[in-house]
Amino acid sequence: MNELRELARKLLGDGAVKVVIGYEEGPRGVRPVMITDPAQAERLVFDARCVHNLAAYLNPRRPHLTRLGKPAVVVKGCDARAIAGLIRESQLEREDVVVIAMRCGGVVREPTMKPELGPETVSPRCGRCASREPKLFDHLLGVLPPAPPMPAGDDPVARLEQMSVAERWAFWREELSRCVRCHACRAVCPMCFCSTCVADKSRPQWVETSPTPRANLSWQMTRVMHMAGRCVGCGECTRACPSDIPLGLVLAHVARHVERRFGYQVGDDPSVPAPIGAFKTDDSQEFIL
Amino acid sequence: MASEAASEATPHPQFEPKIVAFVCNWCTYTGADLAGTSRLQMAPNVRVVRLPCTGRIDPLFITKAFEGGADGVIVSGCHPADCHYTAGNYHARRRFAIFRDLLDFMGVDVRRTTFSWVSASEGGKWRDVVNDTTERVRKLGPFAEYQGLSDPLPGVRRRAASGDQVGTPPARGTP
Amino acid sequence: MTTRAPCTTKCITRAELAALVADLAAAGTEVIAPVKSRDGRALDYQRIGRLEEAALGECALPRRSLKEFFLPASEVLLRYRLAKNEVLIEEVPTSFPPRVILGAKPCDAAGVEVLDEVMGWDYRDELWFGHRDATTIVSIACPGADGVCFCTAVGLSPDATKGADVLLTPAEGGFVAEAVTPKGEALLAGRRFAEGQGPAGAEAFREAAREKVARNLPAQPAAFHAWLGKSFEHPAWKAIAHRCHGCGACASVCPTCHCFDIVDEPEGPDRGARRRNWDSCATCKFTLHASGHNPRAGQNERFRQRVMHKFATYPQRFGEVLCSGCGRCVRACPAGMDLPELLGQLFLDAGADPSARARSKRDDGCPEGAL
Repeated sequence: MNELRELARKLLGDGAVKVVIGYEEGPRGVRPVMITDPAQAERLVFDARCVHNLAAYLNPRRPHLTRLGKPAVVVKGCDARAIAGLIRESQLEREDVVVIAMRCGGVVREPTMKPELGPETVSPRCGRCASREPKLFDHLLGVLPPAPPMPAGDDPVARLEQMSVAERWAFWREELSRCVRCHACRAVCPMCFCSTCVADKSRPQWVETSPTPRANLSWQMTRVMHMAGRCVGCGECTRACPSDIPLGLVLAHVARHVERRFGYQVGDDPSVPAPIGAFKTDDSQEFIL
Repeated sequence: MASEAASEATPHPQFEPKIVAFVCNWCTYTGADLAGTSRLQMAPNVRVVRLPCTGRIDPLFITKAFEGGADGVIVSGCHPADCHYTAGNYHARRRFAIFRDLLDFMGVDVRRTTFSWVSASEGGKWRDVVNDTTERVRKLGPFAEYQGLSDPLPGVRRRAASGDQVGTPPARGTP
Repeated sequence: MTTRAPCTTKCITRAELAALVADLAAAGTEVIAPVKSRDGRALDYQRIGRLEEAALGECALPRRSLKEFFLPASEVLLRYRLAKNEVLIEEVPTSFPPRVILGAKPCDAAGVEVLDEVMGWDYRDELWFGHRDATTIVSIACPGADGVCFCTAVGLSPDATKGADVLLTPAEGGFVAEAVTPKGEALLAGRRFAEGQGPAGAEAFREAAREKVARNLPAQPAAFHAWLGKSFEHPAWKAIAHRCHGCGACASVCPTCHCFDIVDEPEGPDRGARRRNWDSCATCKFTLHASGHNPRAGQNERFRQRVMHKFATYPQRFGEVLCSGCGRCVRACPAGMDLPELLGQLFLDAGADPSARARSKRDDGCPEGAL
């Protein structure tokens, strides 16, 4: 942590960046903080409670942040994948952000929990992480901890995949009945950066805005399709949902499918193109008559 | 392209499914036209929507078709390497591989969907796609699940956040 | 802190309450109560058929407040249909079958009564009051949820009767039931409940809960709404919400947030419905004009407005704080925005010299240590 604070102090003091976006201790647990004064760098922390994906704050649609000036951002591997995605999709120039990457051993489910990683407390998002030592960085800090202690044999995505179609329909009908279309899932996602979301368009309207079962299903499917091959698996949408809808299950399922079919995993190298938008002439087409 | 065995019972023999077909202008639409001018016998259930290219087809079109009451959907375009715009169908292929699998994961029976490559000269193939899809969807019956999204949640006591979706009260003794 | 003196006090055993619920259900009266979610991790206000299905008197709050029973997340205002050469309008009912909410948190019941002010202000909202008239609210005194809630700081308490028709307090063998309104009296009437104030334990329960919650936030925001109304340019607002995503989760779980959007959306090729849907002032497009101008273009401006509305504007207009201190906004926020923390800090500022704060060492203009 001292390494991190020292670096932040230096970056701000030298004027290399105007703001460091990191984590601090809040009254209930860890939370994001935007530090503009080098003397405040001592507030920065990093531990297993640092759940938030701070890459979301690099979205160019946040004028109150872009106006602060060039940022440095503290990232874990999943967050670094998001920065790579933003660069890949021309939302960010590599030289316009200083990436402070932290070696990571996993995070707990909520930033208000104790920083004690165990099968009961670890966040499901850490299960298949391949970026514990991020490769996208200007500074790489910390010591690589052991792999996150995932609960054995627990795979809710696989359980859903093994259900019948009718069972899955009933499952999602029930889960999505709690959706109130607050769009928190979209707001916290670093990859949802469209200045006008397709769900906000009204002429013509593609996705109804009312929280009805029909429109909720349309919204969720649309968002997931738009995330295919782009979702970094940070789990923030699931955490942000005030109705505890297990959105991560759909995104994880699609990510696994993309990996099986196209051999692609979202990574932290911006030069590797995403699967949607690219193609191979011999892509599989067993489902096409 | 063999049709389903005729001996299979059809649960809804009187039911006429509504099928919406999103087809590309250059290949499948022309192939469908050929099927018509060749007087091939085809089920009349398909409503054709013509687009320049399968690459233009957004998965939302399929969603909207189901919302609008379609019981089945066809998406059809040029064979790989034959796209009038060079690569539209390659993009569509990837997109629909993912969307079809997503529909299945969300609990939609993908037997209600057909994806095909039908060229401008394949009038016969288009006839087969139309007839096979119609019969397949007829056997599945009306897409009650999707149409029922506008109805109250049946048999579950939960009340959705939108006030007009009220579940029926549980029978005594049910959890 | 009660706003009305209770009228009648009864002692009810759990079995008697179960019988009351069963009789209501048999008569077709909907009974709503906190229910554990399928995974057991959360509570939701849901319809029940038997008392056993309810989780009464838990510390934790249900995920959402009672708001959705009076202002649904999506509510049809009218339906329209095209017929030949005309458009037919179908009115929606504004009176509803009777129902009882059992085991409401006092903060949630209070929130409903606070909203009566705006709903009956310049236009009497028929749908809101239709739902209100049909509903009897039975609150249950809260043991104090956790370290976040702060009802005592906004003029309420874990045993408040504001908004309740009956207040239950857990006691040995059952509950002490106090009828607060004529509706509450009517609910308890005709049942053979024992009279009386109930065991002394009930009062001790309530006292302990009040003390527990009061420790969370000693400030009294109602006391400084005048200062707040004059502090539009206070430096605290400059950076207070940098971390806020504008996601609107807070508004959806809040008992008193009530902004809504109105849309006309299709229900078929020739028909549709005009609906009102929950909205949130935290979202970036909330005040976006058709011209493209947005008077609240930054997240800090939007958050300032949220706090001002709740603690200055609404109290100035209606004499009520637009907050019940339930703390859901804190628990739901994915980014660690913390209203009671802010209120505690602003309360100190309200007493302090505002210009001294502006000279603080913190260059981002925030009060020391808070934001």
